[in-house]
Amino acid sequence: MGTHHHPFAGKVGKPLVKYILKTLWRHRARTFLTVSGTAVAMFVFCLVGSVQQGMSRLTEDTAANQNLIVFQENRFCPASSHLPEDYAAKIQKLDGVREVIPIQVWTNNCRASLDIVVFNGADPTKIQRHRPLVLTDGSWQTFSNRQDAAIVGRGVASRRNISAGDQFTIGSLSVYVAGIFISEIPAEENLIYTDLRFLQYTSGLNMAGLVTQHEVVLNESASPDLVASEIDALLRSGAVATKTRRKSAFQASTLSDLIDLISFAHWLGYASIGLVLSLVATTTVMSVQDRMKEYAVLQTLGVRPSGTVSLVVGESLFLCLVGGCVGTFIASITLFVGSFAIGAEGATIAFRPSLSLALFGVGISLAVGVIAGIAPAIRAATVNIANTLQDA
Amino acid sequence: MALVELSNVTKQFTKGEQTITPLDQIDLQIAEGEFVSLMGPSGSGKSTLLNLVSGIDRPDSGSIVIDGTDITQLSRGKLADWRAENLGYIFQTHNLIPVLTAYENVELPTLLLKQTSQQRARRVQLAMNAVGLGDRVNHYPRQLSGGQEQRVGIARAIVTHPKIVVADEPTGSLDLKTSRQIQKLLQDLNQQLGITMLMVTHDNEVASIATRQLLLNQGKFIDGHTSPSVRREGGEALG
Repeated sequence: MGTHHHPFAGKVGKPLVKYILKTLWRHRARTFLTVSGTAVAMFVFCLVGSVQQGMSRLTEDTAANQNLIVFQENRFCPASSHLPEDYAAKIQKLDGVREVIPIQVWTNNCRASLDIVVFNGADPTKIQRHRPLVLTDGSWQTFSNRQDAAIVGRGVASRRNISAGDQFTIGSLSVYVAGIFISEIPAEENLIYTDLRFLQYTSGLNMAGLVTQHEVVLNESASPDLVASEIDALLRSGAVATKTRRKSAFQASTLSDLIDLISFAHWLGYASIGLVLSLVATTTVMSVQDRMKEYAVLQTLGVRPSGTVSLVVGESLFLCLVGGCVGTFIASITLFVGSFAIGAEGATIAFRPSLSLALFGVGISLAVGVIAGIAPAIRAATVNIANTLQDA
Repeated sequence: MALVELSNVTKQFTKGEQTITPLDQIDLQIAEGEFVSLMGPSGSGKSTLLNLVSGIDRPDSGSIVIDGTDITQLSRGKLADWRAENLGYIFQTHNLIPVLTAYENVELPTLLLKQTSQQRARRVQLAMNAVGLGDRVNHYPRQLSGGQEQRVGIARAIVTHPKIVVADEPTGSLDLKTSRQIQKLLQDLNQQLGITMLMVTHDNEVASIATRQLLLNQGKFIDGHTSPSVRREGGEALG
């Protein structure tokens, strides 16, 4: 007995894989339905995960924690915040302030929307200096030289089918697309940048001398909360009172309703995993139930109980893994091609595929596959061989 | 020394409040190369005895020593290893794995032993030839007749060159003509290849192919043992 080599007892050998595949193929309708169900559930899980990741990126971004947004006090929608542009010069004099960027914001929809279009008007040189943007098409020079020029984020460009050189019109705004950009911050890719003057003087806005907000870039040593208090104190005596917050807090506050909804959506992710678990466990239990005699025969021939466990767990693992990989792959492709984003009041949350999300999806599939197979595997491995052979 | 030696083996079942004793302090020796048939009415304990010798059931008391190993002392895992190496089992209803071809069914027990793929292929081919199914290797069980399925089952039982082959009513599900072909095959395997066999049957004609017939009733042998037959000379070894 010491010379035994058991491909069915522990090692995932070629014969074991062949047996599992042949068994699954024999019951291909059941296999197809289980894999499909698993794929759909994992697709939903990955979509929910990508929304969660988008929210985390927005609220945990390090750079956004070091920048401040000065907004009109008690105002929420960009359309209702009107700050004097010359506040920038006053803010600039405070200790710890490196640069102030006056920004005019225009959005086609202040409410929650899946196809929000947000224009940010600012000095082109400051945009190039402070935003992590890389042009994939077009040029910075055209953007700087032409007053009606805009650079468009990849997400908007993809959703609206915009290319460099196009004329893009929405509402009363019409811009020449000087370039398409990508960014390491996915939310940026859902913005359109124009020159501040262009947005201020656009027909219908009449915002000469006014901006929606000031973005304050601080020195690394500055305390954001302290400078924010100083800004609000400084401007309290001005024409318009302000409310200054870290950029991440500002975005979280702007999107607070959406964030509540998205936080709730993580239950949908857990429900998807529960669905996969119950689906694969049901299939595996049914499969084992139908083949108890086969497991008794295999053990009579010399397959160890541990080998029987490997066979059953291998089967559920395969179902979960194939379904999980298919669902995760389709979700990743959908997220990449769709460039989805949800926004409200000028701020957006981008849904992006990510390697970590894909690996997490596959890892969850593996874990669920093992868990779903354990109970039926133990049942098959501990079958009373003599009784089962006699009863069948 | 006997290849198989059962000493004082008792097996009991509880059914409701009733205790049934299908085997009551049984002693049995089977010599190497012997072909023993086991007959008896339903419930006489013959299937229980076969299950105990096969190591798929355990006695309540007594010992079962096969080729020097007391299999009642082995754990479930070790017992599986022992079966893989020492036992061939022929089922009444063939019990082939439906998703595997005839070749793969016969190959299955050899996958549990340490052998090269060439050694396995040679053994499978020899076993298939021995049962006269060398040309049916790629057929699935559903594509075979009942007799052919049983031949594959027999090839699967002998492919590892086990110490003993047990057969549980091997002709029980076959028509008369096919039954006689299988009887002849079993007889040939014993006489020409020297395979030790223990066979349970209801049929006197089938029992008569054995070199010793035993009769069980109410958990005891009623005819006593006949003398162990001597292994026939000239048997060609498999593989």
